[in-house]
Amino acid sequence: MEEKELVRQSKEGNEEAFASLVKKYKTKVFNLAWSLTRDRETADDLAQEAFIKAYFALPTFQFKSEFGTWLYRITVNHVKDYLRKKSKMSKMLFEKMKEMPLVQENEIIKKEKEQIIEQRKKLVHQCLQTIPEKYKLILSLRDIQGFSYEEITKILKISPGTVDSRLHRARKMLRKKLAPFFIQRGGNHEM
Amino acid sequence: MKCKKVERFLLRSFDELLKEQEKNELKKHLESCALCQTRREEYQGILDALKENDFPVPKPNFWERLKPKLEEKKKYDPWSLWKQWAIRAIPASMLLVILFAAILILFIPLQKEELSESEDLLLRNLDPLQETTILLGEEKVEDKNMMLIFTAMEEKNSTGRYLP
Repeated sequence: MEEKELVRQSKEGNEEAFASLVKKYKTKVFNLAWSLTRDRETADDLAQEAFIKAYFALPTFQFKSEFGTWLYRITVNHVKDYLRKKSKMSKMLFEKMKEMPLVQENEIIKKEKEQIIEQRKKLVHQCLQTIPEKYKLILSLRDIQGFSYEEITKILKISPGTVDSRLHRARKMLRKKLAPFFIQRGGNHEM
Repeated sequence: MKCKKVERFLLRSFDELLKEQEKNELKKHLESCALCQTRREEYQGILDALKENDFPVPKPNFWERLKPKLEEKKKYDPWSLWKQWAIRAIPASMLLVILFAAILILFIPLQKEELSESEDLLLRNLDPLQETTILLGEEKVEDKNMMLIFTAMEEKNSTGRYLP
């Protein structure tokens, strides 16, 4: 069945139609929540809550945008609310991280390549949790989830120019946060 | 080209948003500026670390776990369900109000207004000026005055008016 028909039937109260929409979008909604929280349990709960919100908001959906875009918008707003409450906690984690000694060059040489990549990823994502919400969101949508500029303008309801400037500011901010962790090697900077 | 401008170009290059000329300018600058080369490597490293190749999957039976939560929400949050129908109920209620008002205005009969004497005479196809004409036509002044007095003393009732 075509998606528009599924949405129309869901609006009429057809549970099976809504179940089909859930099955279609659950992975993307979950991924969106996970990219912002980095925790499977939390992301699963948030994804479920986002679908519940979407269900009760169905009467307001007027087919002015794609259902997926509308659903991602609900998910983004729901995760933002959750992150606002969690932001204090994230800042504490980052401060703790800063107290850790810088990794020494000979230790890096000893570690296996996959472990280094994994650690780097973890570090970058932990720093990501400490930057302001709107910048974290746009980095998640663009650099983690891989949404296009056009999709991001529709999800966040901002202009393409704002996407551009906000994304660049976000990347600069993240780089600045990671600066203490860069290792100096004869003038070159690597993480 | 200044390094600040290069940084802007650098960031746009990761999204493949640069024009040909801008790409060339960037390439030329990077060939000669170690600082911007380093900056480029740092950004590339960050973007590579952000890219997710292995997303975890949602926990199993996602819909089966969601369904009872939905039912629970419907049961204990009637306001959410009401909101679902309010979108339709509001225009329907407004329509009812307009219909009711229309019925009131169009179908409830108006109260009879009291007619003035002249209006009543006109309605009965009688000349309201008739008695005035008779009064004015009276030749004798004393007769005219008597008629005026009697007219003034009578009750304001069209049936009691003086008619020849």
